[in-house]
Amino acid sequence: MKSLYIINQPQKLNQALPFISEQDGILLIEDAVVVATYGSVQANHQTLYVLVEDLIARGLKDKVGVEQWNLVDYPQFVELTLQYDKSVSWL
Amino acid sequence: MMNKSICIVFNKAPYGSQAGRELLDIALMAAAFDMPITALFVEQGVYQLLKGQEPDILDIKNHSATFKALPLYGIEDILVEEDALQKFNLNVQELVEIDGLKTISSSHAQSLLANSDFILTL
Amino acid sequence: MATYSLLVTANPYSSQGQLRAIQFAKTLLEQGHELMRVFFYADGVLVASRLHAPPADEINLTKAWAKLAIEKDIELIACVTAANKRGIVNVAEAERNALTGNNLDPAFEISGLGQLTEAMLNSDRLITFG
Repeated sequence: MKSLYIINQPQKLNQALPFISEQDGILLIEDAVVVATYGSVQANHQTLYVLVEDLIARGLKDKVGVEQWNLVDYPQFVELTLQYDKSVSWL
Repeated sequence: MMNKSICIVFNKAPYGSQAGRELLDIALMAAAFDMPITALFVEQGVYQLLKGQEPDILDIKNHSATFKALPLYGIEDILVEEDALQKFNLNVQELVEIDGLKTISSSHAQSLLANSDFILTL
Repeated sequence: MATYSLLVTANPYSSQGQLRAIQFAKTLLEQGHELMRVFFYADGVLVASRLHAPPADEINLTKAWAKLAIEKDIELIACVTAANKRGIVNVAEAERNALTGNNLDPAFEISGLGQLTEAMLNSDRLITFG
């Protein structure tokens, strides 16, 4: 099964990564969106998404590394939760 | 319908938050509904299982003994991440004795998570 | 079309989780999906009080949930143990615990954790907002 891992705090991404499979997706929301604006993530083939509303709110939309990150809005967020078999909020 | 599986992930130490206690309550309730349940302890969550906890000193109820009772509720898959034990300089002998408790690698945990219908953290 | 349930554990006015859950709920309903139940647990139950009085230019989260519940006929359920502990009580729980008042917003119900398990068993997706 493919899972969508939802991360809402920046430090949680590295904590969750060892448990995320290659076919999974990772969605950054809330304060975690800053991660998409600096450096690169040691992702292991996972597809990476970031919630655009949270970027805009923080003035960060133009700072995202778009080669690595797919920007999604709320309608696409809902669609992602269906495209993946389950969602995991790694709190 | 009734065989959807749930993996409950303990990833925080006690007692700074009540996440451990509140996840435990979810586990016990789901067990009453006959859902197949795995309790997975990763990262700082392994501290939930450490022997010798005395939270009474903080006026906090000690929930660590309830982990021992998990098999009585039909929760038999109780898994602890090896890497976390190593990282925090702990060994299995220092954890509360639970029938059937096993240690697993991160990659094993990864495939277990991939195969669960629901995953909960708090 | 899919059936969703939401688990909301975020503290209402200290974090973004409740707002995000409301936005997510609205969006999934707009897309024609079904929202079976929203279950409030841990600090998430705090939003079920009808006594919140945020400044006039800030969102009232309780009213936002209530509007959604009434317009779209959605169950909002707060866990009884988490709620009682945090001072969120309905008339029955106030009487049972000999309290002098009650504060549950009428759009919300108080019930047990079994309602969360039931939501998992009967929904295609459970999304947690912490």
